[in-house]
Amino acid sequence: MNFAFTDDQLALAATVRDVLRAHCPPESLRTERGPAWAQLAALGFFSVLVPADADGLGLELIDLIPALEETGRACLPGPVVETAVAAPYLLHGTPELAKLGSLRVTVRFDGHPHVPDADLADLLVIGRRLVSRDAVRLAPRPGADPCRKLFDVAYDEWTELPGSATRALRGATVATAAQLIGVARHLLDTTVDYARARTQFGRPIGAFQAVKHQLADVAIAVEFAAPLVHRAALSLDRPSGERDASAAKAAAGEAAVLAARTALQAHGAIGYTHELDLRFWLARAWSLSAAYGGTAEHRARVRALVHDAPRFP
Amino acid sequence: MDLDFTQAEQDFRIEVRDWLADHVPAALPSMDTREGFAAHRDWEATLAGARLSVVSWPAEYGGRGASLIEWLIFEEEYWAAGAPGRVSQNGIFLLAPTLMRFGTAEQRALLLPRMATAEDVWAQAWSEPEAGSDLAALTSRAERADGGWRLHGHKTWSSRAAYATHGFGLFRTSDTRHRGLTYFMFPLDEVNVRPIAQLDGENGFAELHFDGLFVPDSMVLGDVGEGWRIAMATTSSERGLALRSPGRFTATADRLVKLATGDPVLADRAARCWIDAEAYRLHTYATARRLMAGAEIGSATSMGKVFWSELDLRMHALAMELLGEHAAATPWLDGFLFALAGPIYAGTNEIQRNIIAERVLGLPR
Repeated sequence: MNFAFTDDQLALAATVRDVLRAHCPPESLRTERGPAWAQLAALGFFSVLVPADADGLGLELIDLIPALEETGRACLPGPVVETAVAAPYLLHGTPELAKLGSLRVTVRFDGHPHVPDADLADLLVIGRRLVSRDAVRLAPRPGADPCRKLFDVAYDEWTELPGSATRALRGATVATAAQLIGVARHLLDTTVDYARARTQFGRPIGAFQAVKHQLADVAIAVEFAAPLVHRAALSLDRPSGERDASAAKAAAGEAAVLAARTALQAHGAIGYTHELDLRFWLARAWSLSAAYGGTAEHRARVRALVHDAPRFP
Repeated sequence: MDLDFTQAEQDFRIEVRDWLADHVPAALPSMDTREGFAAHRDWEATLAGARLSVVSWPAEYGGRGASLIEWLIFEEEYWAAGAPGRVSQNGIFLLAPTLMRFGTAEQRALLLPRMATAEDVWAQAWSEPEAGSDLAALTSRAERADGGWRLHGHKTWSSRAAYATHGFGLFRTSDTRHRGLTYFMFPLDEVNVRPIAQLDGENGFAELHFDGLFVPDSMVLGDVGEGWRIAMATTSSERGLALRSPGRFTATADRLVKLATGDPVLADRAARCWIDAEAYRLHTYATARRLMAGAEIGSATSMGKVFWSELDLRMHALAMELLGEHAAATPWLDGFLFALAGPIYAGTNEIQRNIIAERVLGLPR
């Protein structure tokens, strides 16, 4: 029992954080669709989960979790979860696996409505079909998040993939939950900074208990959602894996949505504008909390599975 | 990072589970009645006989030197088995950690073994009529006497004091707000104790009137004037790991989801409680790991206190909704009344949210 990240896991996250600070600053969210992707690819970020015999690092989902939190904290656009987590599991046993480090991949799992970030993808996995960028026609769909665009796709050529998508979907769900933790942490930090700086009635608004207590509640929600995400990454292939992934996604989604709601309220009117960068993180909280199953759907799954498997640990 | 128990930890869990299956009594009367207090004290002695009353203490004081992880395992099994509440809780979870850290070897040798067997049962004496959330405003005082101190003043909301044998609390030894407080331990037999019935009608609290009770220097815990700092270390364990381990909430959540099988809206709320109980449990494993590595948890314990106390209340309030008038005939009603106190004791949740905002997040005072 050592429920703490290793130095290697934290070092990877620190490196990713540095890259994102340099190459995915908030202003890039207004002008670029894929900031920092080239630098992250050069770092090997997208082949962390690719097996070593396919030129990857051959690590486990848990090794990537703190770094995924950083991609959420930076509001990194693009199919991060799909490329870094879902694709290595979906393309297992295919020649494309070895190319993953430098490709952008997006995914639509069966039963899910749209394809995220299809405009950026070199490869698409639609259900169990592998589709190349050239073979696909994209129809944009309305969405809340300007940096996570949604599409419908049409195509005539594809390759059938072997195996099942269960593990990839579960991994993507947990990875998205990790990003939501990062989104929530950024929203909390930004709002605390604002509440310290903004004065009304001659005092910083963060000195008022009505503001303090709302921010304390966000801190609590994030603090207790995070360990569920970490556990879900560890139990990916265990009997409790599905239940743990759903618990993580429900709690992380709820924490991020609370953080967004509170951030907007504390910022007041300036937060309700296109001018402030805050809107990118608000939108990410909403889009990711809905991605790969919303909170109610995951809680229903927890309810159905609650006594099916022993607790882990 | 891993979440696997060692073979020794798994063996310990099985030993505890088997022992509890053979020994847990049928429901005892409330520990806040004379009869129930005696029954709970007997149960503590039975636990101590198996060296299970204070597993994390060193063997010389009646424990097993168990790790924090093993203590958490014990707690999970204890509450899952439906075992009685701990009448010695104030002593073993609040005073004892303070004695281990700030007490003298003589105090530990004298007090801890008797606490482990519930020969002595300790009550806390923090609050006063005019010092609740603002604890440092307390005015009960200790005056210098030959070889010790004489206590004067009025304490209230002293949990377990109606039937306990001993008490501990803060008294003023000078006028300086925080640095003028000193931590005393004393027998209750010469204190004027007035029991106070709680919401459930039983004497869970008492008022304590001190009129010159003599306390020898050997029963001062830590240095004179250091009481506030020492008590804060105690309340930090009270809010955090020690007082409300996750085991009781995971056990309640398991019972709740079994109760909430019908209406999907109520079942959804039960599922959320179950997830939160798991979250508290996992968070505690992470905290235990950090404590075992020598870290201090400090103000972050306030987050745990708000989280578990409001989770406990949400679970019991949901059970009240689910059971309607049937609730009165089940342990859920007593649990509900008990859970209602959670957001108040050990520092109200309003005070905890202030602490989180100011000391964890860095918002201005």
